[in-house]
Order: sequence, then structure tokens, then C-alpha cells
Amino acid sequence: MTTPLFFATTLAVLAAGAPLAAHHSFAAEFDGSKPVTLTGTVTKMDWINPHAWLHMDVKGPDGKVVSWMVEGGAPNSLLRRGWNKNSLPPGTTVIVQGYRARDGSNRANGREVMLPDGKKLFIGSPGTGAPADGRDPTERR
Amino acid sequence: MRNRDLMSRALVLAILTIALAVSPGCTGNSGASAEAAEGWTPARTPDGQPDLQGMWTNYTATPFEVFDESDTPGLYSGDPDGSARGTGPGFLTDTTDRTLTKGRSLVVDPPSGRVPIMAWAEERRNFKLTHIQDDWENHTPWERCITRGVPGGLFPAGYGSGYQILQGPGYVSIVYEMIHEARVIPLDGRPHIGKGIRTWNGDSRGRWEGDTLVVDITNYNDKGSIATNVATQRVRAIPQSEELHVVERFTRVDENTINYEATIEDPKVFTTPWKVAIPLHREPDYQIFEYACHEGNLGLPNTLSAGRARDKAAASGTR
Repeated sequence: MTTPLFFATTLAVLAAGAPLAAHHSFAAEFDGSKPVTLTGTVTKMDWINPHAWLHMDVKGPDGKVVSWMVEGGAPNSLLRRGWNKNSLPPGTTVIVQGYRARDGSNRANGREVMLPDGKKLFIGSPGTGAPADGRDPTERR
Repeated sequence: MRNRDLMSRALVLAILTIALAVSPGCTGNSGASAEAAEGWTPARTPDGQPDLQGMWTNYTATPFEVFDESDTPGLYSGDPDGSARGTGPGFLTDTTDRTLTKGRSLVVDPPSGRVPIMAWAEERRNFKLTHIQDDWENHTPWERCITRGVPGGLFPAGYGSGYQILQGPGYVSIVYEMIHEARVIPLDGRPHIGKGIRTWNGDSRGRWEGDTLVVDITNYNDKGSIATNVATQRVRAIPQSEELHVVERFTRVDENTINYEATIEDPKVFTTPWKVAIPLHREPDYQIFEYACHEGNLGLPNTLSAGRARDKAAASGTR
């Protein structure tokens, strides 16, 4: 791929920052205070219940390529939102917004995926307790 | 009793094989009017059963319970901003292009819409959910890829909620999308299995009362939970005892709707029996995805590894 890749982590707490409730699926696994932006290439999309997983390669500032896994919603949920098996073929350059895993591994809870044409798709699951960051179109106000 | 266990497994396998072999599959009744509620009667299967067959879902905007100010939805519903305070299930993932009904609560008895949970059971739930990063046993059976339970598997979850009902002579089978569970319910009046045999999802025995399928379930173990999904709010992760007794009722009230009811009694867990009523909607185009729980659900290892990272950070004084 000739597209320049970069990797950035933002530690700022989001403005919407609802207090995080510990001990449920999102907060027990992922850190709402650690949003992450991943730009890289898709290596694989797992269409499996209960969560789809987006696998991608991300080049860090040091030029080293690191593999990441991004958790998505259930396959049927993604299909109804407009995703399909052709949405993310391997090699596609994407920009993914999400939240980092608490254990420091290269895993993230996915929120929004931007495709090469600029189209944005919500990849996450509403109601999990993730910060109300405006990326979920069904977010209740 | 190893032999007994093997025989039981063989019996279940044989029943499943027979039921699937004789099933005619989804028959549907596309010519019937969806408005014919009054005087509407379901079609019959070739062996004369009221026809419940087809693909069904249970997406709803109705909350499981009536919300109370003493509730702590952030603990069991994953809803820290309180937006699910009685306004609907915590998960509303699969709502795209669906028109959802919204009522007061799925719990219809007692009239308060509140499940009569004993204090000890709530305390145990609270302990488990506040120590979920510490031990895999603090997770519900669903998170451990075992089961969403019976009747819990039919409580709305907000996603992955496809149910395929198949009928063969003498049996009704329900295939659940979540956990890819299959219940094979015999209708021939056989007694429940012996009291010494205990299972996660109990022992189901069905019969027809008019056009209503009534399923009596006993023989539960005391390892499961009556409900596992955050959409069940306060009832999530409440334990079940071996005295759990459930009676389910499936009534097809029109072409596109089955009214599902479950009456739940467990004198060690609930002060009185309670009842939940959930509409199942026909969605013939819905397809059940394979449920690859251990491949797709990394919540359990992720949560435990998050706990170990927390412990390590605490030990090193970095937080």
C-alpha cells in the first residue's frame, strides 16, 4: 500500500464524558478515557456472532507495523446498518475510532470506521456504556 | 453416574435427529391476513399441531422491569448515564428499519412490574458484577459461552435474537441464534426425568392447551442465572436454584405474532412467582448467523486480563 499510515492515541477524556460505570461489558474491558484512532489496512473481517472483529495492520510512528483487533457489533446488526461482506475487503485503508483495551493489548472497542471514499459507518454496539461520543446514530440524548 | 449421563446424551441426540428429520421446515402462511386477530386460528401442521413454525425475533423497546429510583442501572445494565431508566432495554442494536412496540414493562405480574427478588440474591449479583474482573465464575453462563438459560434465552437481548421454531410429530424444537442452542420439547406426556438429574436449562415437557403450547420446566441445576443480558436490567445475573420451576406459554395470535409468556417461581430466590410477557415477531427473511462464541466473544479473557493489568498497576503504585 502506498497510502501513508499513521497511528495516534489520544488520552483526553471526551467532552461528553458520562461517568463510567465499572463492571459491565464495556468498562470492564475497555477504557472510555482512552480513545484511539487507528489508520491502517484491513487484513481480515471476521463475520461471527456475537461480535464481528476487524483485523488491521497499523504502522506506528517508528515505522513498525502492528496488528490490531477491533471489536464490532453482531453480524446481523452490521448488515442492517448497511455493512456487507464487500464493505471491508483486505487491503482497504480505513480510519477507525474506538477505545483501547484496559489490558494494554492491541485491541479496541470499535465505534466508527471511515472508508476510503469518506463514508462513515458505525461498527459498535449501542447501550454498552461506551462514552456518548456522537458516533452512534441511535444514541439517546 | 457416567452411564446415565451417556444415556441421557444419547437420548437427546436421538430426539434431535428424529425431530429435525421429520420437520417440514418453515411453512409460513403468506396468504393469511395479518389483521385477522379476531377469530383467527393458526394453520395446522401435517400431524395436527397449531403451526408455530418459522423465523421469529423479539426486538422491543419495552423495558424488562418498571424502573425504580433505588435501581443502579450502571451496575447491571452498562448504562452509566442512566438513559435506560425504564425507557427500554440497555441494548438497542438491531433496531434499524424495525418498528418497535413500547409498553410499560415486560414483567406483567406482579402488577408493579417489579420482579420480587430476595435480598440475598441481589447481594450475590452485586458481588459478582463488582468482581467481574477477578474470577471467571463471576461471569454469567452466557458470557462463559454456556447458555442464556431457559427462559432467559427468550428474554430480549437487542441483537442476535433470531429464533427458529420447527415442529415434527410429537415434538416442538426451538433453535436459538444466541449460543446456537436447540431445545427439543416432547409433547407425548412423558414424565420429567428423575430428580437426581440437574441441567443448566432444565427439563422441558410440552403439551397443547387449545392452540397454546404449554411447556413445563423443572430439574434445573443451581449454577445458572435466570437472565444474563443487560437488557434484563436488575434481573441480570440473579442466581437460580434447583427449585426453579418455569411454565412457558406460546400462543400464535395472528400470522405474524406469537405471544410468549413465562411464569417463574423459585422459592429460594423470589418471594412470589412472577410472569413476563414478550411478543415474538415473524421475520421470515431473518437469517441466523453461526454463533462462534469462543472465537467472537473475547469479553471474558479481555475482562480478566484487564483485571490483571489493574492489579499489576496497583502493585507497582502507578495508579
